[in-house]
Amino acid sequence: MNTRPSATSNSPAGQLYQRVRAHGIDFFVSVPCSLLGEVIEILEDDTEVTYTPVTREEEGIGILAGAYLAGRRPAIVMQNSGYGNIVNAVCSLVNYYNIPIVMLVSHRGSAGERIEAQVPMGNAVRDVMEASGVKCVPIEHPSDLDGVDEGISWALANEKSIAFLFPFSFWRDAETYVPEHR
Amino acid sequence: MRRYEATREIMNAIGDELVVCNIGHPSQEVFTLRDRPENFYMFGSMGLASSIGLGLAMARDRKVVALDGDGSVAMNMGTLATIGLARPKNYTLVIVDNRSYGSTGFQRSFTADNLRLEEVARGSGVESVAVVDRQAEIAPTLTRLLGEDGPHVLVVKCEPGMPEGIGVIPIDGMEVRDRFMAAVASGRRGSDPARTRGIRSLA
Repeated sequence: MNTRPSATSNSPAGQLYQRVRAHGIDFFVSVPCSLLGEVIEILEDDTEVTYTPVTREEEGIGILAGAYLAGRRPAIVMQNSGYGNIVNAVCSLVNYYNIPIVMLVSHRGSAGERIEAQVPMGNAVRDVMEASGVKCVPIEHPSDLDGVDEGISWALANEKSIAFLFPFSFWRDAETYVPEHR
Repeated sequence: MRRYEATREIMNAIGDELVVCNIGHPSQEVFTLRDRPENFYMFGSMGLASSIGLGLAMARDRKVVALDGDGSVAMNMGTLATIGLARPKNYTLVIVDNRSYGSTGFQRSFTADNLRLEEVARGSGVESVAVVDRQAEIAPTLTRLLGEDGPHVLVVKCEPGMPEGIGVIPIDGMEVRDRFMAAVASGRRGSDPARTRGIRSLA
């Protein structure tokens, strides 16, 4: 039995992936998060995109900047904690050279979080994004995915990076979620 | 041999490859020696020259050279793991190792003591690792590597210090970006013989 998710899946991850791909986003890097597991499995299987895991979000931003300079449309898949690792790269590379990067960011520390240590960065992340010049669009539920379409169109047209924040409510019922790793 | 002399040998071996230049004095030296649209000067984001080069190499079937430094690679050592995983054949990372943080005043770096970046590179899964410490060997070694499938890491061991008279780059980031992107998109064979012959010799 093959239970592996696919790019055509109707799950929240599958729907998100289809929206992003429809804009020609074709070059991805990722750092793991339990909420993003399905997106990452889809990436691993999709032979139509260029994809690599990265050791740390900051090198991922460098790789994606190179991909954009070569004419590709890049995106990073990461947890909100990763935004704390990329602030200087966002300001002095991505914003300075007008490189539009799509950031698909799981929002740990949002409602439903059971790990206390995730809460401080969870609370800070939107302000940190805005302060570093990256528009932040929360997507609370799969029915809000039109916001991803509008955001990516805006980002590509204006050569600005944009971050979409996906809290627990996007992925599953927050009340029943038990994290895999404590 | 200082970084400047090493960089001159490296740029002599460059044909139509895309070249990503590290922040600060390394970019300024490349600009002085051989400016060309196929050079991307990274004005900020210390540590990410090797990552930008990796992204370029993964994105296009065109040869890419990143000119990085020992302090910068130490700041982003995960880059070697990712290069060793992604393994683009068209990528060469050159680490000019002068055992110091040159652009900030030549403070002692980690390779002055215990760090050996060639050993880290050998454990990362790249195709080949070469170490050169004689000036005459730099260009032949890089030329050989560029003719073979990579990814390659070339460590060039040199001394701290730089010539007088290297100034800041007089073009801004958007101009660097736009002319680089145009050069990549056109896929033209990049070297301008007049410029290549025009390599300048500073004190």
